[in-house]
Amino acid sequence: MIAHAIFFYLFSFIAIISAIMVTAARNTVHSVFFLILDFISISCLFIMIGAEFLGMIMLIVYVGAVAVLFLFVVMMLNVAQQKNQWFSSVKSSSHIPIGLLVSLVIFVELIVVVGGWKYKPDLLNSSTILIDKNISNTHSLGNVLYTDYVHLFQLSGMILLVAMIGAIVLTFRERLGVKKQSYIRQISRERKDGVQLVNVPNNKGVKIDV
Amino acid sequence: MINFDLIFPEIFLSLVIMFLLMIGVFKKNSERLVYNLSIISLIILFALVINLYTFEESYIFNESYKIDILSLFTKSLVLIVAIFIMISSFSYLKTQSILKIEYPILILSSILGMMVMISSNDLIVFYLGLELQSLALYVLASFKRDNILSSESGLKYFVLSALSSGLLLYGCSLVYGFSGSTNFNTISDQTFQTQYGVIFGLVFIIVGLAFKISAVPFHMWAPDVYQGSPTSVTLFFAALPKVAALTVIIRFLYTPFVNLMDQWQTILVFISIASMLFGAIAAIGQYNLKRLIAYSSISHMGYALAGLASGTNQGIQSSITYISIYLVMTLAFFSCLFMLRKKSVFYEKIEDLSGLSTNHPVLSVALLIVLFSLAGIPPLAGFFAKFYIFMAVIEQSMYFLAIVGLLSTVVAAFYYLRLIKIIYFDKPKEKFEKDHNIGLKITLAISTGILGLYFIYPGLLNNIISRILLI
Repeated sequence: MIAHAIFFYLFSFIAIISAIMVTAARNTVHSVFFLILDFISISCLFIMIGAEFLGMIMLIVYVGAVAVLFLFVVMMLNVAQQKNQWFSSVKSSSHIPIGLLVSLVIFVELIVVVGGWKYKPDLLNSSTILIDKNISNTHSLGNVLYTDYVHLFQLSGMILLVAMIGAIVLTFRERLGVKKQSYIRQISRERKDGVQLVNVPNNKGVKIDV
Repeated sequence: MINFDLIFPEIFLSLVIMFLLMIGVFKKNSERLVYNLSIISLIILFALVINLYTFEESYIFNESYKIDILSLFTKSLVLIVAIFIMISSFSYLKTQSILKIEYPILILSSILGMMVMISSNDLIVFYLGLELQSLALYVLASFKRDNILSSESGLKYFVLSALSSGLLLYGCSLVYGFSGSTNFNTISDQTFQTQYGVIFGLVFIIVGLAFKISAVPFHMWAPDVYQGSPTSVTLFFAALPKVAALTVIIRFLYTPFVNLMDQWQTILVFISIASMLFGAIAAIGQYNLKRLIAYSSISHMGYALAGLASGTNQGIQSSITYISIYLVMTLAFFSCLFMLRKKSVFYEKIEDLSGLSTNHPVLSVALLIVLFSLAGIPPLAGFFAKFYIFMAVIEQSMYFLAIVGLLSTVVAAFYYLRLIKIIYFDKPKEKFEKDHNIGLKITLAISTGILGLYFIYPGLLNNIISRILLI
C-alpha cells in the first residue's frame, strides 16, 4: 500500500532530520523546538501502526515533560531576560523563523495525520503487524495492567512515591520568621485583641511597645 | 488464585512505609517515634520472612516472582543487617542533626526495592525493584544537603547509576528481543550459545550490575560517594545494595543465562581479578577511613565474584557465605567509626586512630578483630570466607584466579596491618567520648563476637547456605 509507505517515510524523515537538528543546533532553545518536533513525529509514527495509546502517551508525557524542561532551560541559562526581546529586538530575532518553521511542520503533520485517519483501515491492513481490530489498545492494556501486572503497577506507584519524598527532602526548607497569612486567626480576631484604651496622663504621654 | 502469603512481607513493608509517612506528616516532632517504629517493623518483617522458610520453592504472578531458599536467605540477611544498621546509626544521625522522618522511610523503601530485586524472576520486576532501591539511595546519599561533599556524592551517584541503568535496560531489551520473553525461565529455554544478540545483552546486563556492586572497571563512583555521604548512609551503601545486587547476579547467571556459562565465566574472571587487585593496591594511598573501606569493599566484591565465576553450587554457596561475613565485618567496622566522636564531631582520618589503644583499649580490641578479619587472618570469620572461595575456585582448576586472589590478600593485609600498627604503636593523639548509645555498643559487641567466634560453630550459617542449590 503506497499511502502507508508515503506517510511512513514522511514522518520518519522529519523525525531523523529533527533528531539531527537537536544536536546540531547551537541555540538551546532551538534544540528544544526540534526535540518537540521529533517527539511529535515519532508519536505520529506510533499512531500510524495502530498504537494510538502509545502515541498519545508519548505526546502527553514527552511533549509535556519537554515543556517543563524548556522552562528549566529558560530559568537556568538566564534566557528569561531575553524573552522580552524575542519579538522586538533585531539581535535575537533568529528565534522567530526557526520557531515558525517548526510550528509549520507540526501543522502539516497534524493535517496529514487527521487526513490519514480516513485511510486508517487500509493503513492497518498494509502494516505487517497483526492487530485485533475489535479491541482497542487502551482496553487491552488495561486488561493486563490490572491483572497479570498488578504488582508492577503497584511497584511503579511506590517508585513515584519515593521520587516525591526525595524531591521534598532535598528541596524543602522550612523558613523561620516568615509572616504567613492565617485566615482562622484573622477571622477570630476580636476588638479587644487589637485595641487598647489607655489613660494618657497630661503632658507626659504614654509609652507603647508592641 | 495467587497465594498472597508469599509476598506478604513486601505488602506489609509497603503499608508500613505509607503508615509511617502519615504519622510523620500529622504528628509534630515525631522523628524519634518514626525511627523506632521502623526498627520494630523491620523486626516484624524479619519474623515474617523467617516464617516463609516452610514453603517449598514457589512462584507467583505468572512466574515473575520467585520464593526459594536463596531469595529467603538473602532477604533475611538484608533485614537483620538493616535492623542493626538502624540501631547503630541513631546517635550519629542525632548528633549530625539529619534525623528527619524521611530518613527511616527512605531506608525502608530502599529495602522494599531490594526485596523485590532479590525475588525477581522477570526482567521488568527486577528493573522496577532496582530503580526503587537506587532512587531512595540517591536521596540518602545527599541527605546532608548543606554539606557540599554530600551533595556532590548524591549527584555523582545519581548520574553514574542512571548511566548504568541505561546500559542494563539496553541489555534487557536485547535479551527480550532475542529470546521473546521477559521471564527468566523462558529466557533460559530460549537461549543458545550461538545467539550473539543474547550474548550482547548478557554483557550489558553484567556491566550494569557490576556498576551497582562497584566492581572494577565500573568502580569510579564508589570512593567519592562513600566519602561524601553521611557515615550512616555509607554503612548502608557498603552493606545492603551489594547483597541485593549480588543475589540478582546469581539469579541472572544461573537461571536465564545458564546455557551461556562459557561466555560469562571469562567476563566474571576478568572483573573479579581486576577488582581484587585494584581494591588492594589503590587502598594503600588512602588517608580517609571511609575511602579506605570503599576500596576494601571493591576488593571484597572481587572475591565474591570469584566464587560465582567457578560456576558450581559450591561456588555460589561460598560467595553467599562471603557476602554474609562481609556484611558483619562492615557493620563492625562502621560501629567503630561511629565511636570515634568528640563532642559532635566524628573523626574519619586514619591519623586520628593514632595511639587509640592507650585511651580506648576495648574499642582498639574490637578494631583489631575487625581488621584482622578483613585481612583474612585465621581463626577469624574473614579467613573462612576467603577459604571457602578459594576451595570452590581451586576445585574447578581455576588456578590463576586463586593465585591472584591470594596475592591481593597479601597486598591488602599491608594496609589493614598498618592501621593496627597505628592504633597500637603510635603516639596517642585524640581522646574520644566514652559514653555511647547502648544500641551502638550492642551492635559492635554482637558483630565482633560473630567475627571472633564463627570458627566454633560454622555449621550454623553453612547449614542454611548449603541448601541453596541452583544447578
